[in-house]
Amino acid sequence: MAASNHGVIATFDTAADIFHAAEKVRDAGFKNWDCITPCPVHGLDGAMGVRRSKVPRFSFIGGVIGFFTGMSLIWWTGAVDYPLIVGGKPLFSPMFAFPVAYELTILFTAFATIGGMFFLNNLPMHYHPVLKTDHIVRGLDDKFLIVIEATDPKFDAAETKAMLESIGGSEVTEIES
Amino acid sequence: MESSATAQPGVAPASASSTPAGKALAVGLIGIALTAAGILVSGGSKVAFAWLSAMVFWIGIAIGMLLLIMIHHIFDANWSTVIRRQFEHGVSAFKWLGLLFIPLVVASVIEPATLWKYFDPNYDLANVGGHGTVGEDVLWTKKSGMLNFKFFLGATALSFLGWIFLASRFRRNSFTQDTDGDIKWTKNSRVWSAAGLVFTALTLSLCVILWVKALDYHWFSTMYGVWYFAECVRGALAMGVLIMCWLTTRGDYVGVLNKNHWYSIGLLSFAFTVFWAYVTFSQYFLIWNANIPEETFWYNIREIQASTGEPNQWKWVGMLILFGHFFFPFFGLISYPAKVNMKWMRFMALWIAAIVLIDVIYNVWPAKKEDTGDPYPFFAIHQLWTLTAVIGVGGVCVWAYLKSFATQKLIPIRDPRIGESLTYHE
Repeated sequence: MAASNHGVIATFDTAADIFHAAEKVRDAGFKNWDCITPCPVHGLDGAMGVRRSKVPRFSFIGGVIGFFTGMSLIWWTGAVDYPLIVGGKPLFSPMFAFPVAYELTILFTAFATIGGMFFLNNLPMHYHPVLKTDHIVRGLDDKFLIVIEATDPKFDAAETKAMLESIGGSEVTEIES
Repeated sequence: MESSATAQPGVAPASASSTPAGKALAVGLIGIALTAAGILVSGGSKVAFAWLSAMVFWIGIAIGMLLLIMIHHIFDANWSTVIRRQFEHGVSAFKWLGLLFIPLVVASVIEPATLWKYFDPNYDLANVGGHGTVGEDVLWTKKSGMLNFKFFLGATALSFLGWIFLASRFRRNSFTQDTDGDIKWTKNSRVWSAAGLVFTALTLSLCVILWVKALDYHWFSTMYGVWYFAECVRGALAMGVLIMCWLTTRGDYVGVLNKNHWYSIGLLSFAFTVFWAYVTFSQYFLIWNANIPEETFWYNIREIQASTGEPNQWKWVGMLILFGHFFFPFFGLISYPAKVNMKWMRFMALWIAAIVLIDVIYNVWPAKKEDTGDPYPFFAIHQLWTLTAVIGVGGVCVWAYLKSFATQKLIPIRDPRIGESLTYHE
């Protein structure tokens, strides 16, 4: 039965409790787990050992593609596909291609940022097992939750439940997939 | 030193003795003396251009610091509270900068066309590759309502008095609050910031137009004031980072600053890098696109020798500014790890401060022309006086900063936002 479960969930009463519990889960070496809090808890990312987001890498690549898209668009339309002298200017110059390249840099950076965020977060996600638990109702209101997923290499239903209880978690329950 | 600062970050006293300030003043005076001696070597006019470059550079940094204080107050910002105190020390330099501006006015009284040819309607433009006199030049007569000695003096005096006054308000409010903790000082600063931002935006534009842009009074550019604004803030942010590095290395800021303060000031430096590029490119692009002689000449003399048609040294200075003032800081400041690395930020701040100076030189010096109409080259003996003038004026500014630094607490300990600033989190 354990193998088909999503994982284990535990409830904590205060932001300080979950902060210290998260440090212990982190130090125990778990990777596939998460905290669910009704409000932002400053520094929780550090307590969880979460590294900085990788979204900026998507943004940067998007920006570079946007810049060269803008440059090539003006070059191809103005100097290759339909050469036309306007105002005595050269058929192509990075000068007048720059505003277009600059706008597309911003546009593609924005697209890549949104897209990268969706991709890294596995969005859109229409179903999540945690939403079926009773804990989540209070987790969106005044309780703090830790979920350790069964896919974690260190996961063992009984041991992980015991560990969560030992670090102060209450209502420790397995979650159905 | 380090342990005491860590134990009580909020009340660690500024322990600077008067010695560093005295040293800075000595360096400044030597720089000023060397610059003055330069008159014997290169003549008064070239030294005046060198002095103007140094003044525009350091006044820009002081204006930038004043702007950052006002932006802090107007946004009721929290993270910058611990750094604002350093800018409050920095703006104490305004009165000395006003004093150091007087030689330029005196030089213009003795010889009106020393720097600004528009002071002298009888100036023979044949001296700089033109024809007729300034008074016969329609591009001057149409602008003469503003481009004249009286207006110059009035605008310059008004600007300095306003900046000195604003600086004194913010300094008094912040320093007095350290002793009585009264919220009214914060509110008073906010009111003066609202008025001061408008005043400073207008006066910095007016001054840079009269001091620098009108060196070539033929020229038109609606971007010039904004360009100087970007330059001011970039220079002030670079100085802010350098002060943060200094106070962290010395131990004062240990336990006061955290990674997020570095990230935030790095982010602002990055934002203003992009803003500077946007403004500077817009100026170039509009002139390039419209292609009107009374505008394009400004870039032409910075690229091609009119007498020979060959590229001149200023072309490569322009390329250095393009890549060194935008691309390098852009990529150097774009990533998070770069912004929170103190050693790298110190390097970036030094780089930006240096390239701001080169940009100022690029805007000031080519207005000094030979009788062929070509600008004097970038690499020449007279550029040495720019360097000594920068050290001279800079020494006085650093002295003013250190003198004020020694008399006050390290951070505004009773500012209503100081708690948020000390525990600042992204």
